[in-house]
Amino acid sequence: MSHKPVSQECSQCSGSRPAVTRRDVLARAAHGFGAIALASLLDPPARARERVNALAAKPPHFQPKAKSVIFLFMVGAPSHIDTFDPKPALEKYDGQLLPASYGTVVSEFTKGDTPLLKSPWKFRKYGQCGREVSTLFPHLAERVDDLCFVRSFYTESTVHAPAMYQVNTGRILMGYPSMGSWITYGLGSESENLPAYVVMPQPEGTPEGGTPCWGAGFLPAVYQGTVFRPGPNPIINLRPPEGVTPERQRRTLDFLQSMNEMDTLDSDTEMAARISSYELAFRMQSHAPEAVDISRETEATRRLYGLDQKHTSEFGTRCLLARRLVERGVRFVQIYSGGGPVSMQWDAHSNLVENHEKMGGMTDLPIAGLLADLKQRGLLQDTLVIWGAEFGRLPMSQGGNGRDHNPHGFTMWFAGGGVKPGASIGETDEMGLRGVGQRYHMRDFHATILQLLGLDQNRLWFLHNGRNEKLTDFGGNVIPEMLA
Amino acid sequence: MRVAVNIVILGVAVAALFAGGPDQTDKEAKFIGARGKYWAFQRVVRPPAPTATGAWVRTPIDAFILNALEAKKLSPSAPADRVRLIRRVTFDLTGLPPTPDEVAAFLQDRSPNAYEKVVDRLLASPHYGERWALKWLDVVRYADTNGFELDADRTHAWRYRDYVIDSFNRDKPYERFIKEQIAGDEIYPGNREALIATGYLRAGQEHLVAGNIDPEVSRVEVLTEIATSVGQTFLGLTVNCARCHNHKFDPILQADYYRLQAVFAGASGKEVEIATPEDKAAWEAADKAYQERLKPVKDALEQLAKPFEDRIQTERLAKLDPKLQEAWKTPKDKRTPEQRVLADNANQQIEPTWDVIVAAMTPDDREKRAQLRIRLHAVEATEPDPLPTAYVYVNGKEAAPQAYVLRMGDPKNRLEPVEPSVPRVLKASYEIPRESVGRRTALAKWLASTDNPLTARVMANRIWQFRMGTGIVRTPNDFGVMGDRPSNQALLDWLASEFAARDWSVKAIDRLIVTSNVYLQSAVPDKDREAVDPDNRLYWRMNRKRMEGETLRDAILSATGRLNPELGGRPVRVPIEPEVYNLIFTEHERDGLWPVNPDKNVQNRRSIYLYDKRSVRLPLLTAFDQPDAITSCPVRPVSTHALQALSLLNSEFMQEQSRTFAERLVKECRKDNRACEVKTAWQLALARTPSPAERTLAGRFFASGGNLADMCLALLNRNEFVYVP
Repeated sequence: MSHKPVSQECSQCSGSRPAVTRRDVLARAAHGFGAIALASLLDPPARARERVNALAAKPPHFQPKAKSVIFLFMVGAPSHIDTFDPKPALEKYDGQLLPASYGTVVSEFTKGDTPLLKSPWKFRKYGQCGREVSTLFPHLAERVDDLCFVRSFYTESTVHAPAMYQVNTGRILMGYPSMGSWITYGLGSESENLPAYVVMPQPEGTPEGGTPCWGAGFLPAVYQGTVFRPGPNPIINLRPPEGVTPERQRRTLDFLQSMNEMDTLDSDTEMAARISSYELAFRMQSHAPEAVDISRETEATRRLYGLDQKHTSEFGTRCLLARRLVERGVRFVQIYSGGGPVSMQWDAHSNLVENHEKMGGMTDLPIAGLLADLKQRGLLQDTLVIWGAEFGRLPMSQGGNGRDHNPHGFTMWFAGGGVKPGASIGETDEMGLRGVGQRYHMRDFHATILQLLGLDQNRLWFLHNGRNEKLTDFGGNVIPEMLA
Repeated sequence: MRVAVNIVILGVAVAALFAGGPDQTDKEAKFIGARGKYWAFQRVVRPPAPTATGAWVRTPIDAFILNALEAKKLSPSAPADRVRLIRRVTFDLTGLPPTPDEVAAFLQDRSPNAYEKVVDRLLASPHYGERWALKWLDVVRYADTNGFELDADRTHAWRYRDYVIDSFNRDKPYERFIKEQIAGDEIYPGNREALIATGYLRAGQEHLVAGNIDPEVSRVEVLTEIATSVGQTFLGLTVNCARCHNHKFDPILQADYYRLQAVFAGASGKEVEIATPEDKAAWEAADKAYQERLKPVKDALEQLAKPFEDRIQTERLAKLDPKLQEAWKTPKDKRTPEQRVLADNANQQIEPTWDVIVAAMTPDDREKRAQLRIRLHAVEATEPDPLPTAYVYVNGKEAAPQAYVLRMGDPKNRLEPVEPSVPRVLKASYEIPRESVGRRTALAKWLASTDNPLTARVMANRIWQFRMGTGIVRTPNDFGVMGDRPSNQALLDWLASEFAARDWSVKAIDRLIVTSNVYLQSAVPDKDREAVDPDNRLYWRMNRKRMEGETLRDAILSATGRLNPELGGRPVRVPIEPEVYNLIFTEHERDGLWPVNPDKNVQNRRSIYLYDKRSVRLPLLTAFDQPDAITSCPVRPVSTHALQALSLLNSEFMQEQSRTFAERLVKECRKDNRACEVKTAWQLALARTPSPAERTLAGRFFASGGNLADMCLALLNRNEFVYVP
């Protein structure tokens, strides 16, 4: 067996490419004092040198279908049987116990001995493909011909956080690199001025899994998701403190960079990378606020995302930002619908109707708007949009009018980025309890997403504590029916 | 019944066959086969003295290094200059910069043992243990919280952190350090420190959450964490890779993995009070007073909410199905079984959560409530320190349940039973008692001996890696086939045997390494030597080290003069950015989630004492690759990216520190004296005086309108500041 020792401390891992020379840095830094003053101080004169940027774009393993990803994560888990997976049998069995043939179903709070509950919403067929969608999502239903449903996903935990980790990292354990980290590790970023991997949580609070949902795990910190907060300064410590003008900051930065240049040998890529990271930070300070400035978006666009309505404007803004970020080369954007108080999550243990009407009302129009906007701008073909959650919900009731967690079978949908529009793959049983026939693990989910991005799940690895760790662990199966 | 009994008997018979039968032993021996011959599984044999001699050879280590270099026609690099040297060794051994006085004293001391004097001073410093603890706690993935969604506080876990610091400071023999952590309660009964040491076994994350959690699944999760850690920490083996199947690469059986788990199956996590009667009496009085301060505020909050809560319940009740209403209104003891379920349902549906209650309040009441919450947190901040308690892993009253091999690691899917033991490849048969008590003792004694080929090698390699920047084996947690081969096995084995021979003294090996010429070399790259050994595996130069986030923060506080060097104690919460505060998960109210220690001087304590919450990391630390304390981190990655720059330029902490630094310079230079300020800044931050070119650069910076605080900020961001030379 060929043995290739790889240091566990490798940071700028395979595929980094030379980007810009030091001269470029200096030229860009030339705001008066910068380059000119510096050039005279440097002895011998600066020679061209390669820089290393861990986030520079890297070639995929093969021709990709998608370049970027927008992952819409519905925190707390919407009920698949009340949204995209109609179960007429529940009308018939409503109020009865689950037939014994289904076995015992222990969920987080219930033990399978509560009566079945039919969906409070009606379903109707939409579009050319005739997929059924419930009345919870009237706007999204109109886009059904763009969507590709997979209705037989399953996960291994009935508890929110572990299940969230599994969707995001492949494992029910905390601390593995998230999908966005793996993808930026594999592909880098198309943007020189923005983070490669952006996460926008619900303003009311973080999802139950917390920051490890977008963590880099054992991958270098450079690959972790960067949280964007609402407002003009989305990134932590983005803006200089009050009273520090751009000129003043540039002066400090020029002074710093001149000292760093003096310290640095020509062949020293690590130091050069540090020098360039300050220039990137400086550029980010102007580019990030520009990226989140939606004031120049047209009225029509704002309406498309529901920015003109109270209940949709917040989520709509984040969807609009997702489009703007993808447009600017950001590789992976994740938006969380839900977080913080139970009433701001899809976690309808009680009052299913009230909860899902509220959460659905906040997201239906903006998501439909995002899809329409991406499509009209020609971005949808390169952008993979994913809608999903950590699991689905049970057909049995909890507390009479709620539903407990169901990891045994649930729906996610995909759009754009090389997936087959209008398709529906896999199914759950008559009650919507478990996936039947071909069921799909999160490893399959991840393998398929990597495939669409031109990454081979087995070639995207990182040695950690003696194991070649991969997003799909011991391997998933690409879902072939999903590919256009 | 009879059938069941027969099946059980049959099961036992089959199990016996699997567990100890000669067939099984043969099968296992066959699985291990030739793979057991791998270098790491052979006993350490002290290699003969190397042949290299000459002026460069200061210690036996140098002889091994020079031998290896000469074999490749390489020569070592020139020694680093004395300024770099004192900066390097001070950071390496204490995690702190040398003071200008220490630098001056060293530069003036022309005696031949000037450097050794510095080394001995540093080895005796209490900060030596803090430095080692940062490293050790990475390996054992220590944190102050449980992890997962609730990520609750482990109020008493910090005593283990202090135990680690103290152990390194006192140069506790490593074999004793192992025994205490694995079985301190058994081997040293009545010894408080040894009891606290078992906190090691609970250092990993633990999933504690409400709902239908299967206790057997949770129990196995705890054992999984322990077995993984023991394998990686002490044996440098990925025993955990054999949880679902025999190890794919190393001769470790799946049964070995469950045998190792079985060692710990008789014990569990506990909080053990270690207070004296006086402690207890004092605490009870303080707590009583505290509860009396708390009660009126809590009562006032409840009274304020009550009418709204009642109103919402009544309204919601009225909308319910009449059957539910009736069940709810029926007195509890009069409810039919069906009504009991319905009443439960009704309760779930009408009970309002806090946010609904607050939303229903009048603006006036909401304001009153907000004020009361502020008062509540103010009172909570006065809560007396909890009673001294150890966070430990000790034997319970019940016997350890039978251990089994689990199919694919699934606790519900048991295969053959196994008894506690150690991996067969390392010891074909090792007697570990079947009784619950004593299992850990037996394991600890074997781990802490030269009878197994790995313990001494693994720790010697960690010490080397810590000082030299890379390990002789660059995968310190994996000495198996997938791990790295030693770049110099003779040196590694010599170090391992020397370590054991010197009573497992970490300080002795530390001293040996940092007083060797290999350590004293300059870190300057060299094209010709790089062509032969690009990764510096033979150590023809010193490796430059980027500071850990924690060390960087300590270095900044040292430069500005604000570092509080106090040792030990409860973890400290420092202020966090609002964006980070927002990332704390809760379904409850968002106030009071991060009670900052109000004392600025306490906030300025060393980073090792900062409250370490697994799910909420401090941006400055995490940007500089602080590990997440979820899995063991034997080597920190070093990444370079823009968010580091943003944090180090713009954060409130850095702004404050650069202002403080400037104030310190002004004060130390008394009158308006730029040259002195520049010189002092360089001395405090870089341990040296500025070069003429740097003086010119600084002059231009001021001439173009730059101020002193900004100069300080730039200096604290400089590559030279952030790297240990």
